[in-house]
Amino acid sequence: MADLGQSKPLPDITDLTRPFWTAAKNGKLVLQKCQRCATFNFHPKPWCIECGSRELQWTAAKPSGTVYSYTVSRTVAMNSPAWAAEMPLILCLIDLDDGARLYGQVTGCRAEDIRIGMRVDVHFEDISDEAGIPKFRPALQPATAG
Amino acid sequence: MRGEVAIVGYGRTPYSRAKPGEPVLNVDEYIAWAADLALQKAGMSKNDFDGQGLGVSHAEVAHTVNWSAATAENLGISPQVLLRADQGGASAASMLIRAAAMIHAGIVDRVLVVGADTPLNIPSVAPGLPLSPERTRGVYWDFQGPFGVMGASAQFALVQTRYMHEHALTSEQLGKIAVSARYHASLNPGAIYRKPFTLDEYMNSRMLSDPIRLLDCVPIVNGGLAYIVTSGKTARSITDKPVYLRGFGEINNYYHGSRALPDITTTGFVQSAPQAMKMAGVQHKDINFFQPYDDYPFIAMMTIEDFGFCNKGEGGRFVEEHDLSFNGDFPMSTDGGQLSGGQPGGAIGGFMPLVEAVTQLRGEAGVRQVKNANIGAACGFGGIPYGRPGRSCISLILGTEP
Repeated sequence: MADLGQSKPLPDITDLTRPFWTAAKNGKLVLQKCQRCATFNFHPKPWCIECGSRELQWTAAKPSGTVYSYTVSRTVAMNSPAWAAEMPLILCLIDLDDGARLYGQVTGCRAEDIRIGMRVDVHFEDISDEAGIPKFRPALQPATAG
Repeated sequence: MRGEVAIVGYGRTPYSRAKPGEPVLNVDEYIAWAADLALQKAGMSKNDFDGQGLGVSHAEVAHTVNWSAATAENLGISPQVLLRADQGGASAASMLIRAAAMIHAGIVDRVLVVGADTPLNIPSVAPGLPLSPERTRGVYWDFQGPFGVMGASAQFALVQTRYMHEHALTSEQLGKIAVSARYHASLNPGAIYRKPFTLDEYMNSRMLSDPIRLLDCVPIVNGGLAYIVTSGKTARSITDKPVYLRGFGEINNYYHGSRALPDITTTGFVQSAPQAMKMAGVQHKDINFFQPYDDYPFIAMMTIEDFGFCNKGEGGRFVEEHDLSFNGDFPMSTDGGQLSGGQPGGAIGGFMPLVEAVTQLRGEAGVRQVKNANIGAACGFGGIPYGRPGRSCISLILGTEP
């Protein structure tokens, strides 16, 4: 069980998930790409959820995407109280340009400005000696396509 | 299999918010209490289930290995068949389907199905919001907790925001569901929150995770529920009020669209509801009441739509145009639902739509009784997958005739 007492939760890093956390620590976004059907899988899976191939290879993904949906969390729930200092927290579902969807916090954006369709870029935050985590911020360049 | 099995007894213990000074019962005690109520209702004894079936729902509070067999041991029953469901709020409904199949196959004649949980007894770092060990380990947690996902309210808020982007839906329409549930709770001594509130009070309740407010959220309680299902033949021999399982449909891990980038505003009820209604031989106009899994008004509204009571995207308007009260034209969540009744853990809350449907069809709902209730629909909705609304979507059609 994760220690949820004084700090934000850290992942239990396993051989399956280590490439993701290590890459994020080094400022890179990698996802499992299926070598048979080219689907990007996220979160990490034991095989491709599209075609069932176990040939998944950690592959750099384009560090940009679009806000599919958002919420502004104003109180900690079912997570560590350490998050309270970051409230209100903008949590989004981000559709990466490479075709995977993930939960991601959007920073550098006022709560009232977050929108579906907003273009975002990835940045990374160190969360431990072993792991970083991707977050997002509004893209500097205006969207060219939805 | 239409009408081959029937529910002949049910039990729902009083719920507890585990306030200081209240006696603290453990999960085994709640299971026994709920089973006792169901057995009394059916006029049966625990010994009637030796050599028969026992179904045990998952609980989040710490329990031993071999949980279903250990529960049999606790109850002193020697069943031939053990059912064990870990489908969250779809567990009660899924065990009814499994039990029906076992009875249909002639393996057993009857099954006692129990479920209880005491989430408020789980040591918690966030008061009132328990996190069981199994929720905070594994890949599923590792890719949510550290990312700042604030539980079900945030997960469903993301679905609701997307829905409101694609379809017309107002907070007032969802508020009507919450207000109606509380009204029904005021008529149900077993509900945990019974003081009615107004739409204004709903709208003014604190925003927790936009667009989800405090009065959108299900209150967690300790408690237990149980039901007894038998062959139709046995049912008719022990009660003059059997409630028949006329139809069922189930889908797990439904994707609407692609697996990688699905449309999250449509649930698996679009598959399971037509399946259940076809098997039951009923149409929407034949259904006298609806008991959705209502942990959030938005979920209840989506379930109305996906069950086909209206077109996709028109659920908000449907709610606005119908009277949801027990004596209205679309009676829904007539026990106060989970929203005002309380949720004894996500898995056990799923017994409530089923138990209330049976209560109504037996004409035992007292002041909240739906008149001439002959056919009702109840739902199981369990688990929250990554970035989507519901892992298991089960539709049940129950009736007073087979």
